[in-house]
Amino acid sequence: MIKAGQIDKGTALLIKGQPFICVEREFVNPGKGSAFVRLKLKSPTTGQVLQETIKSQDSVEDINVETMDYQYMYNDGESFHMMNVDTYDQFEVPMSNFEGYELLMKDGETYRCTVYNDEILDIQIPSKVVYLVAEAEEAIKGDTVQGATKFVTTETGLRVRVPIFIKQGEKIRVNTETREYLERVNG
Amino acid sequence: MDRQTAISRSRLYANIRSFFSDRGYLEVETPTLSPDLIPEATIDNFGTTFVNEFAGSREMYLIPSPEIFIKKLLADGSGSVFEISKCFRNCEQLGRIHNPEFTMLEYYSVGFDEKDSIALTQEFLRATALEGCPSCVLEDFEVLTVREAVLRYTGLDLDGLQRPADLRAAAQKLGLIIPGPESWDDTFNRIFINFVETALPKDHPVCLTDYPKQIECLAEAEGNYRRRWELYAGGIELANCYLEERDPDIAADYYRREYQKLLALRSDNGKTIPDIDDSFCDVLARLPECSGVAMGLDRLLMLETGRKDMDDVLLFPFSRMAGN
Repeated sequence: MIKAGQIDKGTALLIKGQPFICVEREFVNPGKGSAFVRLKLKSPTTGQVLQETIKSQDSVEDINVETMDYQYMYNDGESFHMMNVDTYDQFEVPMSNFEGYELLMKDGETYRCTVYNDEILDIQIPSKVVYLVAEAEEAIKGDTVQGATKFVTTETGLRVRVPIFIKQGEKIRVNTETREYLERVNG
Repeated sequence: MDRQTAISRSRLYANIRSFFSDRGYLEVETPTLSPDLIPEATIDNFGTTFVNEFAGSREMYLIPSPEIFIKKLLADGSGSVFEISKCFRNCEQLGRIHNPEFTMLEYYSVGFDEKDSIALTQEFLRATALEGCPSCVLEDFEVLTVREAVLRYTGLDLDGLQRPADLRAAAQKLGLIIPGPESWDDTFNRIFINFVETALPKDHPVCLTDYPKQIECLAEAEGNYRRRWELYAGGIELANCYLEERDPDIAADYYRREYQKLLALRSDNGKTIPDIDDSFCDVLARLPECSGVAMGLDRLLMLETGRKDMDDVLLFPFSRMAGN
């Protein structure tokens, strides 16, 4: 059991026997009254979303989760196919539970995952990742209205706004949370 | 340093001082370090120690609000007063609209009821506004009672839900999960923070009046409600006002209950349990009829300068100091 005030983004909780991951957390202090924590919880298995408001002092059931490394093999449009790098066990994870992750995960790359009861509850993508520029628009000369930027597409299909000097085949570092370009990577 | 932030704050304070001195209010300065506090169960305190190496030491507390001292001045005949004071609240989460040390403007108007103080506050915000201040601060206040606001955003009529079990059933119908039995005001707060506070208009100030009497404080009660208002601007709670309770017996009762709640909440977690000033209730017997407003100046500065985070208006935000 943990106090509701200790819950953070990514904390795994057991609600009515079902595992949920906290995706949003906000403390709310009414002018006069107990402090509350407003939570948005998501079930990694069913995709169900719960909004809960819990007193910071109340105890909630947390889950003892394991962290394991999984290799992302491919997706079939519905599921991510992941393989445990130690046991070679393969898992299918519904893509709808990890919206947009197909644009961030690279085939063959290993990701640290939160696992509970043989199910992947969370896939941790590093906050900064280097991607290959698979397609780049031609920059239009003299067009500085947009602050001299253009769009490129990475090998994972992610569209990123970059400075005009970035060319196809080059590598760029991207902030995976904001999906914004950070810098060009040489070599 | 962010020079513009420092300039904005300095200008705002100059405007505030001239606004109140033009209206005959006396600016006062009261201690931030106090030997005792008014019991407020849900506001956690900072404790410290005064050390006298020959005569013994004693516990002291950083004030969560200058109310305790200002009411003594009013009882002694100070007339209307205002103070810009540093205040301290422990255990609150950092960021966006909280900093453990913050600046409060308190103004107490003798002979004013809560309606007079709403009008004064509207005038205050316009007269002291910085250049470029947005409409969420400057527009006409929308004034509505808490009962009206709850009815508007949830369809519930608080007058018919005065028993804890009834309010709880109504909250559950709205989809709220309430794990165990709890007080009426806790259930009310769940409804309020989920359905009312988040739904309040953000383009103009909203003044909520007549808070439920079950939320205990030193504001006069009348029927199911208390003569208290809160001001929201840009969705942020900016000010709180009481028509001040002056009955020493009612205040003493409140003191006892609130202190019991405070002890229950802090007995096993190392939180500061302050000493309580027992003579304070007698002071209230001599308090003139008055309306006291407390306004968070860091929040006001945030709103006026269009900043999204309180840290952006503090020269040394707690969250960016060493060790945080």
